[in-house]
Amino acid sequence: MSEDRPKPALSGRVYGEIIYWGTVIGSIISIIGSMITFVTKRNYIDPGYLLSAIWQGKSVKEIWEGATGALPNGHWYLQHLFTGNGIAMAGLAFGVFVVVPAIFSAAIMLLREKQYVFSVLAFIAGIITTVSMFGWISI
Amino acid sequence: MRSLLKSVPELFVLIGLTVVAYIIMFLFNQLQGTDVLSPTGMWMVVVGSFLFSTFIAIIAVIAGIGGGVLFTPVMLAFTSIDTVLIRATGLVVAMFSGLISTGPFMRKGLADVKIVFFCAVPIVIGGMSGAFSAIHLSKAMGATGDAIVRLLLGGVLVFIAFMFIFGGSKTEYPQPKKIDSFSKKLGLYSAYWEESLQKVVSFQATKALLGFLLFFAVGFTGGFFGLGGGWAVVPVLNLVMAVPLKVSAACSGVLLAMGNAAAIWPYILYGSLIAVLAVPWMLGQVIGGIMGAYILVRIKAGFVRKILIVILFLTSAKLLSRGIEGLFGIDIPIF
Repeated sequence: MSEDRPKPALSGRVYGEIIYWGTVIGSIISIIGSMITFVTKRNYIDPGYLLSAIWQGKSVKEIWEGATGALPNGHWYLQHLFTGNGIAMAGLAFGVFVVVPAIFSAAIMLLREKQYVFSVLAFIAGIITTVSMFGWISI
Repeated sequence: MRSLLKSVPELFVLIGLTVVAYIIMFLFNQLQGTDVLSPTGMWMVVVGSFLFSTFIAIIAVIAGIGGGVLFTPVMLAFTSIDTVLIRATGLVVAMFSGLISTGPFMRKGLADVKIVFFCAVPIVIGGMSGAFSAIHLSKAMGATGDAIVRLLLGGVLVFIAFMFIFGGSKTEYPQPKKIDSFSKKLGLYSAYWEESLQKVVSFQATKALLGFLLFFAVGFTGGFFGLGGGWAVVPVLNLVMAVPLKVSAACSGVLLAMGNAAAIWPYILYGSLIAVLAVPWMLGQVIGGIMGAYILVRIKAGFVRKILIVILFLTSAKLLSRGIEGLFGIDIPIF
């Protein structure tokens, strides 16, 4: 019976696999980062302060100003990759980032499958996500 | 359970790592207590978030909605956490179950990559236009206009829920009477192996142009009111474009993940996403998302329809109550 099962399009499988494994890797990085955050003192910001401030209902501005003196701007965690906070945040950001290579890979595969309209739509979606990632547009 | 372990060993690696990590975090907790939370209280916040997130993710993936629909009202109702932090973490909740379930859905052919990209662009562009319009029109419309539109939107959702009820099983595997030429030219057709029926289900989407315009409207409304698109993707795909219900739910999850991946970066760049709060929610979404994806493949489409009807009624109740609150200045104490 299994020979009757339709084979999903390669473009879809490529898209799905990149996102799936990227998310799994991002999650493992975040688990390690969370553990370091709790069991060591290697942190960019004191996690006890962070959790308490969040729980108290402090605003994002108040939390950051209380911890570092100013709001961050840009990919702050990349400069703190040897701290628990930095590793946990990098794992999360990596999980989000994998969407970009996945979309462009799917766009290329759709082009190879001669699905031109969908390839163009995928490229447009990829460009929008990339532009957002670099902070060139924000709402 | 054994078959799940055989087909997705990484799920058990993730569960094992998470459990070990939380045990180590409990035993060797180095955090300093504060007036607000003790070190054990901090650990409990993290573990509680993870468990609740796992539960939300399973439901969200099966119904094809973003987990934010459940996360945001609960967090707003029961905690004093800042709304920006809740919205930023809500995006993590909305997207990570969709991200992780993308793999199994694409592998099984339950989500169709052509449908996903066909819907993604109008939703993303509509969402951005809606958000920009909200900024510019808020002065002109004011709170009254906002309340009226919420009421209308709530009414539309009630209508959609009733369509799912009275459409019955016809909505599970819809058979369009006529396929328009634009949809035919686009080639929005596919087939997948339906585990619950043990047979191949083929489908051809119809009314693609109307669907495209509706997805723009869905994106616009979602961006304008900060609802996201999860509340309407499944109804448009299933009821308008005649895409089978389970394929609609799968495509919706994949789409939400993609759309939110663009929306979440500003929050990351400006520090509104704080790892110590967001990571347990992310892990719960990833683990619950894998479980939900494998459950969706195996369950009957009728079950998906029932979950969707309940969620549509709950969401519409929230919208209607907020609309009435805004119009008449009264407080309706529901979720």
